[in-house]
This record gives sequence, C-alpha cells and structure tokens, in this order.
Amino acid sequence: MDFLNIVIAGVSIGAIYSLMAFALILVWRSTRIVNFAQAGQAAFSTYVGLSIETATGNYWIALLAAVLSGVIIGAIVEVVIVRFIVKHSTSAATAAVAPVIAMLGLLGIFQGLMGLIWGGEYQAYPTAFAREGLIIAGNQIPFSPSDLFVLVVVVVAMSVAALVFQKTSLGLAMRAAAFAPEVTRLSGIRVSRIRTLGWAFAGGAGGLAGVLVAPSTFIAPNSFDLLLVFGFTAAVIGGLDSLVGGVLGGLALGIGLAVVTGYLGGSFTFMTAFVLLIIVLLIRPQGILGARGARRA
Amino acid sequence: MLVVRKSHAPSATKRVLLALVIAIILFFASNLVDEYRIFQAAQVAAYLVAIISIVLLTGFSGQITLGQGAFMAVGAYSAALVVQEFGLPIWSTFFIAVIAAALFGAIVGISAARLSGPYLAGATLALAVGIPALANAVPILGGEQGLSFDVGLAPGKYADTISPYQWLFWICALCAIIAVVAAANLTSSGLGRQWRAVRANETAAALSGINPARSKILAFMVSSGFAGLAGVSFSATVGLVSPSGFTLSLSFLLLTGAILGGISHISGALGGAIIIVIIPTIFESWTEEASLSVATYLPGIIVSALLLLSIAFAPEGPSEALHKLRHRRREP
Repeated sequence: MDFLNIVIAGVSIGAIYSLMAFALILVWRSTRIVNFAQAGQAAFSTYVGLSIETATGNYWIALLAAVLSGVIIGAIVEVVIVRFIVKHSTSAATAAVAPVIAMLGLLGIFQGLMGLIWGGEYQAYPTAFAREGLIIAGNQIPFSPSDLFVLVVVVVAMSVAALVFQKTSLGLAMRAAAFAPEVTRLSGIRVSRIRTLGWAFAGGAGGLAGVLVAPSTFIAPNSFDLLLVFGFTAAVIGGLDSLVGGVLGGLALGIGLAVVTGYLGGSFTFMTAFVLLIIVLLIRPQGILGARGARRA
Repeated sequence: MLVVRKSHAPSATKRVLLALVIAIILFFASNLVDEYRIFQAAQVAAYLVAIISIVLLTGFSGQITLGQGAFMAVGAYSAALVVQEFGLPIWSTFFIAVIAAALFGAIVGISAARLSGPYLAGATLALAVGIPALANAVPILGGEQGLSFDVGLAPGKYADTISPYQWLFWICALCAIIAVVAAANLTSSGLGRQWRAVRANETAAALSGINPARSKILAFMVSSGFAGLAGVSFSATVGLVSPSGFTLSLSFLLLTGAILGGISHISGALGGAIIIVIIPTIFESWTEEASLSVATYLPGIIVSALLLLSIAFAPEGPSEALHKLRHRRREP
C-alpha cells in the first residue's frame, strides 16, 4: 500500500516532466536544437499567468494566459533568434555547439528580464484544487485533488496533441517536416512556417508545465532549472526523437524519483536522475523508443 | 578549415621568460592600486584559469561543457576537505585540487567521450546542477554553509607589510600565470594538435593514427585539472567553499567569458575574464541612481545578449573575427 501510494504520487509529477520533455522533443524534431531556454520561456509564461491571476483572481483565465503567452514567446523566439542562429553559425568550427550556447544566452536574457519585471524572490503560485491528500478508507494518501487535476490536464493536452499529429493535415505536415524537410519543402509545404508552429506548440506546452509545477516549486527566475534538467532526462530516456517515448520517459522518471525519494530521502533525488541520464546515454543512447543511429546528431 | 596552423608562437622557454617578466610587473603594480582593484584582479585571475579550462575542452577538443562549475567544485571541496580533516598546509591544497579534479574529469570523460552535441551539453548541464546538490547532501562537506577556505596572511615578518588582498592576488596571479604558460605550451604541443585534429574531423584523425576516444578523455582530464585549480583560486577569493558558490549561473558565466574572449585561443581568455568581472561592477555604481533590481539583473541581460550576438555574428569570438579580418587574404 505504501509503495502504491508513492507510485501514484510519482505519476502526477512525472506527467509534468512528460510535458517538459514533450516541449523539448517537439523543438528537437523540427530544428535539431535542444532548447535550453525552455526553462526561461516556461517561467516567463508562468509569471504572466501569475500576474493575470493576481489581477483577475481567476485561475482558469490565468492558465489560459500562461499557455497563450508560451505559444507567442515560442513563436517569437523561433522567428527572431533561432532562424538567424541556424543560418549564421553553420560554417565556424564551433558550429556544433553554437545553437546550444545561443540558447543559453537566451535563457540568461529571459532570467534577467524576469528579475527586472517580477523581482528575484520566490513567489507562491495558487492551485485550482486542494493540495491535501485524499482520504480513502480512513487513511490519507499522498495523492491530492490537485495531483489528479495535473494528471487530467496533461492527459487531455497529450490527447489533443496526438489527435493533431495523427489526424489532421497540419500534423502530417509537421511530422513530414521533421522527418524529411527537403522533400516536404518540395511538396509545397512551407517548412519554415511549420517550424515556427513547432516552437509555438512547444512554448505552450512549457507554459502549461510551468503553471502545473509552480504550486510545488514556487516561481522565481531560475526556479525551473531543475524542471529543465528532468525534462531533458525524460526526453533522453524516451529517445529525443519520439514524442510517445518522451511521455513514457517522463512518467518513468517521475515514478522512479518518487520511489527513491520515498525510501532513501530527498537528497538522493537529483543524483538518481543524473545517474539514470548517464546510464541511458551510455547503454541505450537511442532511448526506449528512439530510432537507431539517431544519437549522432 | 585548416587544422594544423604553422605556429608563429614563441617557444616554451620564451613563454616562461615572458611569464616571469609579467609576474614581476604585476608584483610591483599591485602596490600602486587600491585594495578593491586588487581584489577584482584576483577574481580575474581565478576566472582566467576557469576560462582556460573551457577553451581547452571546447575550443581545442571540440567538446561542449555547460558544467565547468562542477569540476571547480570538486577541486575546491577536496582542497578545503584536506585542510579541515588533515590540516595540510594551504599551498599543498592547490596540487591536491588539480589532481582530484583531474581524476574526476577522467571518470566523467570516459562516459562523455561517447557523447556529442546536445547530449554532451545536457549531461554536463546535469553535472553542474548535480554536484552542488550532492555536496549539499553530504554531511562532511558542511551542507549549505560549506567549508571555510582561507589563504590567510603572508608568512612571517611580511604579514604586517603585505595586505591580505595583495597576498590573495599574488596567489591567484601565480596560479593564473602557471596555468597560462602550461596551457599555451600544451596547445602548441603534439597533444594540442591531436585535439584540434579530432575536433575538425574525427575519422580523418583516426586514420592518421590518433585514438579519438583517448584524446577526448585526456582533454576532459586536463581541462578538469585546470578547472580544479580555478576552483581553489575562486574559493580563496570568496573565503568559502559552498554549494551556492558553484551554481549553474557560474558555469554559464564562464562559458560566456570563454565565447566572448574567443573560444579557440588561449590568449582570448584574459579578455573574457576581464569582461565578466568588469560588466557587473559598471552597474554597481548605478545602484544609487537606478533601482536595485536594475543593477542586479541588467548586467546578466547585457552579458547574455553579448553572448547571443557573438554567437550570431562572430561564432568563434570577437577576437577571432578580427583575426580573420586581418588575415583574410591568407585564407581565401
């Protein structure tokens, strides 16, 4: 029973890691860049949500605002910065590391801007539902209505994403552009526009992840660094190319970390994630569901 | 891209002589400026060593690192630990830090040599977040407060005449000078050429008899040793070894300094170190006029924007761009 409780608690936090992994994978598939600035984008959207929440007092409007601002920020980042970097940094000896460094610069700009606008203190983010554990058969379990809400939101978001990807022509275009950009361009699809859309969707997913995780981590300019690292770990576990793999990776990571934290204590949480990341990178670099040979990017 | 540029650089002995001259100049110059400038100079010296470690790894061996702070932390913690547990003299800790960090770097390098691009970036990023978190969790390392690390006063009768800041600066400057000479000699040696060859084309390097994996692991080990030395110098300027000293932002700041100074030249490291020390202090004088938050966050925004612009317009650093401009005719 104890073990089951821990696993259930892990699923909810794992769902948030899945969302972050989803955002990273979406960008990776379309542009071959790991968007380390996603931590900053997500925090920025969450701050927008918090401001709206403070102004209106309505959680739902704030949630919508955070996701929308995430979408807009993602699109702006792609159009204004990423295109330029991709075009200009291909010839230098440091071409392979240039996008990563550019994304770090962007992260620094985001974190500085957030500090300027909202200050550096940790701020609380409200929840829609109670965070006390549910009581089942007289025992309180570590699974709260808020956790259930997180789970439902992530499942709905992922289902919508899956529907878009599998059933619409837009989804087909996005998959095609990720798989073979040249051929896709030749068949009359504007790959650059699809790419912008990918970054926009990823930004929205990041904003959603931020709003969902903020009640437990609080919000500060750099409070999502850990979420980024866990999201990246989840994405790598699933194979950076597979959206389904990333979602499964996030759930596996959430449950695994919850078990380790439950039995060994919180100080081992991070080490576990790190060791897991290294093991996956060394033993199964293509991830659980990734295609073979995808690693040497 | 030509790999092995014929070296016009001075020979090893000339470098040592040059370093001696610079050391003597610094020795006398440190009597002329006020204490705050001396402290800043000590900071520059510490950052200089750290940036050199990044230049060696990323610029020469072509392996990106977002987690140089982790290697610094390993060096600094092992130095502070041997002082606390075994009471070893301070001067010996510098050697211990280099050795401990190099060993750690070798272990990391064995796994890192198999990774590339974003995977290596992600793994080193995780390292940068993980090592301070681990240090926080291990009781002997002093948790959040960390361990104290004090280089103290100059020995014997000099303790009265030499200010603590001067003493600190001399120690850091000596480390930096040794590091610069060592790195310059290393990069113009066969090993440095091997690194550049592997960076430019791994297959071609392997075909000409270089073992790419071994070369990469060695680069990690050497770079980490330099980072360990930087960690001790850095801790000496702070007087403390604590998890909050080796944050992700420190690693990012150092990488920024390395890029802005020019990632593929040892000589750029000094410029990079000066930039990252000077820019925040420019804004410190503003604190009274502008609000505190502007002074706190604007330097970060400006440094990040510089990094972004540098990557977009001069991917190998401004100094390299100028270098290319000057030598355009030679490299069509």
